[in-house]
Amino acid sequence: MSDSPANKKTAPRKAAVRKRSARARKPAEKKPTPVTPVSVLIIGAGFAGLGMAIRLKQAGIDDFVILERASAVGGTWRDNQYPGAACDIPSNLYSYSFAPNPDWSRSFSGSGEILDYIHHLVSEFDLQKHIRFEKNVTDLCFDEGKGIWTATTDRQETFAGRAAIMAQGPLSNCSFPAITGIEDFQGHKIHSARWDHDYDFAGKRVAVIGTGASGIQIIPELVKVAGHVKVFQRTPGWVLPRPDFTTPQWNKALFRKLPASQQAMRNLLYWTHESMALAVIWNSPLTRIAERLARLHLRRQVKDRWLRRQLTPDFTIGCKRVLVSNDYYPALQKDNAKLITWPIARISEQGIRTVEGIEHQVDCIVFATGFDVSHSGTPFPVRGRNGRLLGDEWQGGAQAYKSINVSGYPNLFMTFGPNSGPGHNSALVYMESQLDYALKGIRKILAEDLKILDVKESVQHQYNKGIQKRLSRTNWNSGCKSWYLTADGFNATMYPGFATQYAAQMADFEEADYETA
Amino acid sequence: MASIDLDKMLAKIKSTQWALSDIDWEAPGAELITEEQWPKLKEFMADLMWIEHVGARAFAALAKKAPTDTLREIYTYFHAEEQRHANAEMALMRRWGMLDGEEIPEPNVNLRIIIEWLDRFADEMPVYVLGTVVPMLEIALDGALCTFLLESVKDPVCHQAFEKINDDESRHLGVGFTVMEMQGHSASYIKMVQMMARVMDPRLILGIASYMPLLNKMRDNVIAMGLPEEKLYKAMNKFERIGGRTEDGRRNPWFQLIKFHGRWVTNRSNKLYHVPVDGLVKLTGMVPRRALPAVPSWVKELTWQPTSTH
Repeated sequence: MSDSPANKKTAPRKAAVRKRSARARKPAEKKPTPVTPVSVLIIGAGFAGLGMAIRLKQAGIDDFVILERASAVGGTWRDNQYPGAACDIPSNLYSYSFAPNPDWSRSFSGSGEILDYIHHLVSEFDLQKHIRFEKNVTDLCFDEGKGIWTATTDRQETFAGRAAIMAQGPLSNCSFPAITGIEDFQGHKIHSARWDHDYDFAGKRVAVIGTGASGIQIIPELVKVAGHVKVFQRTPGWVLPRPDFTTPQWNKALFRKLPASQQAMRNLLYWTHESMALAVIWNSPLTRIAERLARLHLRRQVKDRWLRRQLTPDFTIGCKRVLVSNDYYPALQKDNAKLITWPIARISEQGIRTVEGIEHQVDCIVFATGFDVSHSGTPFPVRGRNGRLLGDEWQGGAQAYKSINVSGYPNLFMTFGPNSGPGHNSALVYMESQLDYALKGIRKILAEDLKILDVKESVQHQYNKGIQKRLSRTNWNSGCKSWYLTADGFNATMYPGFATQYAAQMADFEEADYETA
Repeated sequence: MASIDLDKMLAKIKSTQWALSDIDWEAPGAELITEEQWPKLKEFMADLMWIEHVGARAFAALAKKAPTDTLREIYTYFHAEEQRHANAEMALMRRWGMLDGEEIPEPNVNLRIIIEWLDRFADEMPVYVLGTVVPMLEIALDGALCTFLLESVKDPVCHQAFEKINDDESRHLGVGFTVMEMQGHSASYIKMVQMMARVMDPRLILGIASYMPLLNKMRDNVIAMGLPEEKLYKAMNKFERIGGRTEDGRRNPWFQLIKFHGRWVTNRSNKLYHVPVDGLVKLTGMVPRRALPAVPSWVKELTWQPTSTH
């Protein structure tokens, strides 16, 4: 989940100037000069890209390059530094098993600490020399004759590799939502994934649009400092309590002295989360128990019946991302906070007009409206065999084999490709399986000097038939609208099963599934 | 009224939004309210505003139970739009000096009982119960009360506000009748059996016991203001005419029930109905305000102020 869009804060002005002049030069452009291919080309220096790099190094493959469009590593965790940003999976599980950190300060660490961990990975595994910053890939093209992938950047630089890893991440792009009048607003606008750390909220009237995973983390922090916070909610989510606590010193010492104890803790967390699949992924008696637990949490924290009603979801738990928070409901009930559930009619010069006819005037609007998740396109043109374009093939919804390979695009591996998302367990658990699978493919390419390692179309088709059939029985496809689904209701995002099942499918690299040359 | 395309209706609703700040509440014309009109108008407006507000709450309940996403979103908008009407009517009351400072007008006891019932039970009611009652109330409002108000009040700002309110209401009615027809699609006897099961729900019986005296009380208030009784009845008959235009509409047992009830209400000589219901009005009139529970917090969302700055 790396590779942020060039944003005003992080991209130096020089880059913008260079970008403009590059555009101006375009007509006179020369064809890019051929480059010596490396073994592996990785796009993105977030958790996935860096994780791949570590696994390659550990396997003795040192000949790789990481292309990163920003000027720092960290991907999602570099971009999401809003107040209160934290992972909703315990840190001992939201980290790589091959790079444990005994020093997590809390059970659920904040984004700053997660970013520190990512930086630690870079230095620990000596990855810095492999990373090329400010390389914004705009095209990825396969040469079938040579068996080489070539990435071209927005400055027309080219990088080539025998295998390519698309690790740009699903949550790397964001934009302001298309609300009527948004451009008229004269106050300050902030997107949660591009936080403006220079803006002083003290005493300000703030509106927050969105009550998803980011919103419920930002709101309690803003309520502490702002003059008044109005929270505009469209759909309430299910909120479960978060068992968050500071890690005692003895615990850190134990993990350091006895790494097996940390592994045991990780296993415990893993199986606890696995059991939650029964409640979250499928509609089972456990689903009712999880809903009851969430209702109890709400009842305990919110005494007013109408506010409770406003905060009670209408959909089955798990259909959308389950939220975890202890301080969101209390924050909404502070004197300087208010939940507004009227639909937004438009944004005006001075604030937000809701359908009950009132203009809520504010100094700043925080958009906690999530990411631009593409279910049907690619972040840049990806050209496979015979010039086929992946974006075209994915028009009706993205598909891949085991979420990682796509037929017609040999030697290309995706992290968090189609149908690889977990709803109940750590994304990094899934990621580790993907990295090891990609490693098997890469080893085969290098060992057998293959030009083509391409999954068979029939195998991919059969695999997706099974996935979609299984998805139809999950809570995600039970009728609510979520970012997991396309506008037509096609689920190209989630994996319909346990993390253990996913890991089992990824542990098997069936050579017969692939065409080689 | 033929059935409408609900998706197109939702798009239309979204594109025709207005806000209180679109109206200049300080514009000249407030002086056109006569001294004689003022006290009756104050009571009338308070009732009207409260009916809009309880209508809003009924739409909120409908949104919870809506059978499709589109209908759910439409009802969510209608909930807010009815609230907007109540807010706009309060803004008119403020313009005419009828509000005591920042205070919301006091609802009458029958309204208080309805508010209490809605707060406790409305979300549990099947969609078609409220889906049929709400159009009845709206048609009475739209066809009689608002028309009468515009005939007797000359203030141009009042006309400006009600032009917008009536546009919204006509969409609410369009959806209301379409939904009533949707309910009539399947075999009548199944619908009847389902309905009987619902009618026996004690929560619904409580609701009916609160709704009947409210209607009679409203009738008394309106007549006190000088509205000819026939106008109200004519408007209520419109419900029977439009709701019963199609076979599907007629097959909806809730429509039939509300239709018959409408006939009883409009037939003053039906002693069997009016004597006990008027008795209930008198009885509820004796309920001391202190005996009523505190108003739910959704009531506190009402405001006459076009902008909220904190």
